[in-house]
Parts: sequence; C-alpha cells; structure tokens
Amino acid sequence: MSKRGGNKDKRCGSTHVEVIRRQFHGALVSEEWQSEEQVTMTIRADSVPDVVQFLYYRRGGWLSVVVGNDERPINGNFALYYVLSMEEVDRCICVIRSEISPEAGAFPSVAARVPACVWGEREVRDMFGLTPIGLPDERRLVLPDDWPEGLYPLRKDSMDYRHRPELAADLENYEFLNRAEPGTTTVIPMGPLHITSDEPGHFRLFVEGEHIVDADYRMFYVHRGMEKVAETRMTYDSVPFLADRICGICGCAHSVAYAESVENSQGIAVPERAQVIRSILLEVERLHSHLLNLGLVCHFCGFDTGFMHFFRVREKAMDLAEMLTGARKTYGLNLIGGVRRDILADQSMKTIAMLAELRRETEQLVEALLSTANFESRTAGIGILDPAVARDYSPVGPTVRGSGFARDTRFDHPFDGYKRTDKVARVHDGCDVKSRTLVRVEEFFDSLDMIQSWLENTPSGPILNESWEYKPHRFAVGFTEAPRGEDLHWSMTGDNQKCYRWRAKASTYSNWPVLRSMLRGNTIADAAVIVGSIDPCYSCTDRVTVVDIGKKSQVVITKQELEDYCRDRSRSPLSGRG
Amino acid sequence: MNEILLAIIQPVLLLLAAPLFSGVSRVLRAKMHTRRGPSVFQDYYDLIKLFKREDVRTRDSGAPFRIMPVLFLATVLLLAMGVPMITRFCPIPALGDFIVVVYLLALPRFFFALSSIDSSGSYPGVGGIRELLASSLIEPSMIIALFAVAIATGCSNIGDMGNALATLSFTSPIAMVVAAFAFCIACYMELGKLPYDVAEAEQELQEGPLAEYSGPSLAMIKLAMSLKQIIVISMVLAIFFPFGSAVDMAPASLALGLLAFLVKMSIVFTVCALIENTVVRVRFKLLSQHTWMVVGCSVLSLAFLVMGI
Repeated sequence: MSKRGGNKDKRCGSTHVEVIRRQFHGALVSEEWQSEEQVTMTIRADSVPDVVQFLYYRRGGWLSVVVGNDERPINGNFALYYVLSMEEVDRCICVIRSEISPEAGAFPSVAARVPACVWGEREVRDMFGLTPIGLPDERRLVLPDDWPEGLYPLRKDSMDYRHRPELAADLENYEFLNRAEPGTTTVIPMGPLHITSDEPGHFRLFVEGEHIVDADYRMFYVHRGMEKVAETRMTYDSVPFLADRICGICGCAHSVAYAESVENSQGIAVPERAQVIRSILLEVERLHSHLLNLGLVCHFCGFDTGFMHFFRVREKAMDLAEMLTGARKTYGLNLIGGVRRDILADQSMKTIAMLAELRRETEQLVEALLSTANFESRTAGIGILDPAVARDYSPVGPTVRGSGFARDTRFDHPFDGYKRTDKVARVHDGCDVKSRTLVRVEEFFDSLDMIQSWLENTPSGPILNESWEYKPHRFAVGFTEAPRGEDLHWSMTGDNQKCYRWRAKASTYSNWPVLRSMLRGNTIADAAVIVGSIDPCYSCTDRVTVVDIGKKSQVVITKQELEDYCRDRSRSPLSGRG
Repeated sequence: MNEILLAIIQPVLLLLAAPLFSGVSRVLRAKMHTRRGPSVFQDYYDLIKLFKREDVRTRDSGAPFRIMPVLFLATVLLLAMGVPMITRFCPIPALGDFIVVVYLLALPRFFFALSSIDSSGSYPGVGGIRELLASSLIEPSMIIALFAVAIATGCSNIGDMGNALATLSFTSPIAMVVAAFAFCIACYMELGKLPYDVAEAEQELQEGPLAEYSGPSLAMIKLAMSLKQIIVISMVLAIFFPFGSAVDMAPASLALGLLAFLVKMSIVFTVCALIENTVVRVRFKLLSQHTWMVVGCSVLSLAFLVMGI
C-alpha cells in the first residue's frame, strides 16, 4: 500500500500506528491515511486479535463494524477490516486490515478477546465463507436457516443478485441459547411478529413464572440484500438514494454516512454550506425520531394518551422536514460532494418559529410524562445495561449514553456542522430505561438549539462540489450519529464508476448484542419496554389478506402459498382470485 | 310478580346497552388522546362482525376453553338479575346477598384463568396466572369491606344495605366511610381498567387470556366483560350511593330511578376514563403493594366498627 504525501506525524492516529509498530514487532505491514482522521493499518492476519484487543482495551477503542471484502479480483485475497473508533487519546478512526488467502479461507477470531466482534465475524462467515477460528458463537447470523450450505452471497463469483437458490431445509432450526438449567424455564416467544414491535424479530424469553432467566433472539428476517444490489447494479453516485431507504426514520443519516465515505476516499471537499445543511437535516431527523421513541415508551408502559400526544407533536417535526426537503422523510437530499437542495431565507425563518413551538409543546409533554403515576416504577432500574457489558460490546447512541459512557460520534469525531457547535454528549448513569429516555429528552432540546444556531449562522456559498476526479479502488469510512447511535458506512469504489463494496452498519446492529444481558433478571412485563428502550429498527413485512369488494369474497393467503410463490415465482396467489 | 318481570327485563336491557357504555368509554378515551375516535356504536359493529366469524380453537384446548365464554356471559346475566340498579331493592333477593354476588364474580374468573391455561398458548397462560393472583389480592378487601357494612347495617343483602345506609339506620359512620373508600378502590381494580389491567395487558401479553379466542366466543367474552363492568359499578352505587333509586315499583319512581342510574353511571364512567387515560400500567410485581393498601383500609373499617366509631 502506498502512503499518501503530507506530514504524517501531524495526522490523527499516528501515535496509535507508532505504538503498534513498537509493541508488535513485524505485525504492521503498512499504513495509509484515507483522510486526516482515518488511518488503515494492514496487519498480519495472525496478529490481528492481539492488535485489536490492544487498541480496544488499552487505547480506548470501540468497535464499530467488521467488514469483509472479496478483493480477489484486485490482489488475490480476501480482506477483513475491523473499524475501531478511538475515543480516548488521539481520537480518530483506526481500521485494522488483514488479508486472508483464499486457500486458507480462515482467520483467527477476535471475538474471543473482544466480544464486540461476534456479530461482525458471524456475518463474515455467512457472507464470505471465511471461518473465524475460535469464534464463540457459530450459529448463522444473517443467512436464513434454510439457505444452502456453501453458497456465500457476497463473494464476487458466487451468485447473481437475482439468483434464488433451492432451499436446503423446510425447518426453522435456529438454536436459541439458554443458560438456565434444562427443564427449569418456560419459553415465551416474542415474535417473529409481536404486537409491540410491529416488525419482525424473534425473541425467546426463558422465564420462571414472570421472571426472565435468559433471552435470545433471531434477527434478519427481512434482510434485503442491499449491499449485493449496490455492488452489482448501481453506480457509486446512485447508492445514496438506496442508502436513504435503509431506514424509514433515519434515512438521511445513512445517505450522509455513505456520501462521506466516498468523499473521504476520493478526497472531496464538501462546501461548508452543504455541510451545515446536512447537519440540520440530521438533527431534524433526530427530532422526529426521539419524539417517536418517547411516544413508544409511553405505549409500552400502557400509557396510550402520552403516545398519542407525542405523536401529535411529532407531526410538527414531520412538517418541518417536509418544508425543508419537500417530503415528510428527509430522503433524496444527498449527493456525493454536497446536497441537492438549498435552505432558503424564508424557510429558515419559518423553521425557527416552528422550533419554538416544538420546544414549548415538548416541554409540557415531558413534564407530564415524568409526573405520571407509575412511570417511575416502570422505567427506573429496569433493563439494566451493565457498564462492563457495554464496554465489551460497543453499543451506541442513547443505549450506551444511558450507561455512563459519553460516546457520541458528533462530538467524538466532529464532522459537518458539528465542528461549529459547543454542545457535548448527554450522559446519564442510571443504566436503565429511564436514563436512556432522559438522554433522548435532553438530546431533543440540544437538537433544537443546534438547528437554530446553524440556521442563524449558515455560511454562504455553493452547496455542491463537482470539481473532482473519480479514482477506483479507494476505500474509506463515513459516519454519522443517527438518532439511535452511530451509523457507519465503509465503501470501496470500483471500476466503471461502480460501487465495489459497500458495508452499511446501522446503529441498531451494534445495540442488539447487549439486549440479551439487558433482558435477564427482569419480568415479562418489562420485556417490551426494554426492547423499546434501544429504539430498535427492523424492517417491515406482512402477510396478505385479499378482499374482493365486488364479489364480497375474502381470501387469506397462507404462509405456505406465499413461500411457494416466493420460491418458484409461478402460481401467483392472486391469480384467478381478483 | 313485578319484581320477577324486572329481574327478567333488567339483564336483557343491560345486555343491549352494555356495548353502548363501552362505546362511550372508547369515545372518551379518543377525546383524551386528541383523536377523532370511533362512533359510540362501534362496539355493536365489532360484536356483530365477531358473531359472523368462524370460531377457531387451538388444537390442544379442551372443555374449559369451550365453555368459558358461555359460562362467563351466563353468570354476569345472573348477576344482572340480582343487583339493584334502578331500584333500591334486589329484584331477586336471593341473588342479592353480598356473599353470593362476590362469589358469582369469582366463578367466571376461575374459569377465565382455567381456560387461558387450557388454551395452551404461553401468553394466555401467563395472563391466566396473573388474573388468579390479582383476584386473590383484590377479593379479600372487597369481602372485608362488605362484611363491615353488613355488621353495621345488620343485613347481608345489597339492596337492604343500601337502603339502611341511605336512611341513616346504621352504626359506626366513620367505619362506613373507610369501608366505602376501600370498596370503591377494590372495585376499580376489579374493573380491569388501567393501571390494573395486568391480565390482558396488551403491550405485555397481547391481551393475555383473550389472545386465543376468536369469533362468537370472543364476542361473548367482550360482551360479558363490559356487562361485568356495569354490574360492579352498579354494586358500588347500590350500596354506597343509592340516591334517587326507586323504592317501590311505581312507574314514576322507576323512571326517576332510571334517570338517576344513568346520571350516576355516566359520572362514574367519566371518572374512570380520566383515571385510566392518565396513568401508566402498574408493574405486575408491584400490584401487591397497591392491594395491600386497600386491604389495610378495609381492615381499618372493621377495626373502627369494633370500636364503634
């Protein structure tokens, strides 16, 4: 790997590189800076667990994501990237890269040393067929139970994105983990579709009476294969519009993160005005997302009046988004190098007026909520996220900030408009549902302040930088703080302006693994509010009822029929019925 | 003879009117949510739709699951014959004894819990256990409070108790006030409204015991549940607030009694709506702390009674 020019010692992360070079003789193969704050070190594969563990526990690193990449067409090897966010000394993004030869097809697992890597390594195993040696949990993560063995979707030579393989089994044979003595607990299934989550995720609560002894869950029921689609049929500049669609709430956070990953890898300077507009939109997203979660906390506690009132106020935040972006969702605004739409003077005036309204109404509602009977007893001391567990698993957002860690990408690694704010991360140390809720409340008001100050001092100038040249096979990280926590995207550009590899890590991905420990020791009554307190984000699916109003007939399509249709794409359940 | 007629008409009218009362509750709830809300007749539409639907049972369920809806509805109808509503006396005195009433309330509850365990679902199972536990926490305070009233008034019939309290022919007034307080709270818990709807907690247990029911069975249970709410409230009104109810079977006093009943009922429903929409559901584990307070109050009333104040 070639080093880019410039004075490398002034760059962030150079102390980490020096320490690694000194402490681990011969482990460091090369280092490369993608931007001032990002360094990628290529490490010999067998030293990776030591180096990641050292950076994680000794140098204040937190794991963001593990990225697998099939680089055989480029250099003949697979590559693994452990993305660490260094948050104590010499703050930067430190990426540990290692190459794995296709003949070996295996690598020493880091998860045994740093539990935060478990999901990442399980995903690499599913998607690339690389075996992490010593991985503590060898179940599938992303691929469904009936996916055939030996077909690894993200290998470049494995399959077309339209390919639908023959299914290997009809059974759902996922093994749920339960640490209790066999025969002492009853299983309470929550999901795949549960009334309070309204999205598919399968929880198993192992209970003694009302008491939750252990819990486990299965996710990825609606994995949409976006990364594969982006790699195979999209150009690098159309991916932001797909990234928007990752989430129904924080779409803008994803497209900003993707756009910044490309901007970092290509060295594109985003105009200041565009940076501030991006931050404003990100904070508008936070406004309506936090109001949503505050409403849901009410709902999970059985306080629907609060839920309805928070949603009434939230509608104003949606109006705000509509005025600024033209749609209720902050979608379709980001381009590589800037944004598509400017904020005009009168919009900015109206926004400031609406912010005042939002502030007043939310203050009243929050005050009412906190003084509502039983609210305290339902949220205080419930769903404890032990700081030690949090340190091991690197959760993000209000989930970790409710456990006393001031982790907030906006202030740890200031980007865009956040360079021009004096706010700091909000922290509570109750470790419970209440702390996480209070963090959200405070962040909501901080967002109002930040939007207002940016609108009042928006730098003038262009909103899009188009004078740059496309360079293939460059990679970098882009990140934002979505309402639920850090969204981190890793992307690599390819030939013909294609996206070679795109890894989108949504914030909830980092938060699921700690949920198991949060559920333990609580009661069934608390399960919904605990799951809700990480503000989880799944994706939606449903079965279908077909009602023919003309014939007054009603047909329910069974799961079997839908499954059959999904497999062979013939005999549509709708044909001949409507 | 007229009393027999009343005992037949009363449950029938109540059966027809119960969905209206629950419909009013839903409208009040919607107003407090700042929603437009459904029509007051929505519960009639729901019930009609449910009665047209197929009745589905889980494969492993047995007899208790099947008979519970019928038994529940039949028991509350029987109760509706005995509890005084527009009159001050019980239409059928034998059904108006407080011990009969309290245990007639306990009978469907027992089957309610039994059927939920029988339904072989895990959520109904947990809901059934909660229902049993909640009732064993609430029942003693109801019984003790009524026992105190029975001693103070010298009669065990609900109608006679109400009459004695209304005509001030009883001992220990302070004991009666405390008993009334305890009984009202116990009855509010018995209504199964928030914050005490632990057995059916939608967000926690997906409606608990009701989760496995469908079609006509579900309709019967829903009907029976709204009937039971009216009966529990009428019982409170008949004993402690009998004002305006008819003392004889003359048409004029019956009409006045009906009017008074409707007015009192709507006041109670409004108060209940206010309470249930401004609280967070109690954590099931903490329910016993709430019921201890009520048990304490009812025992206090008994103590005051013994002291004669």
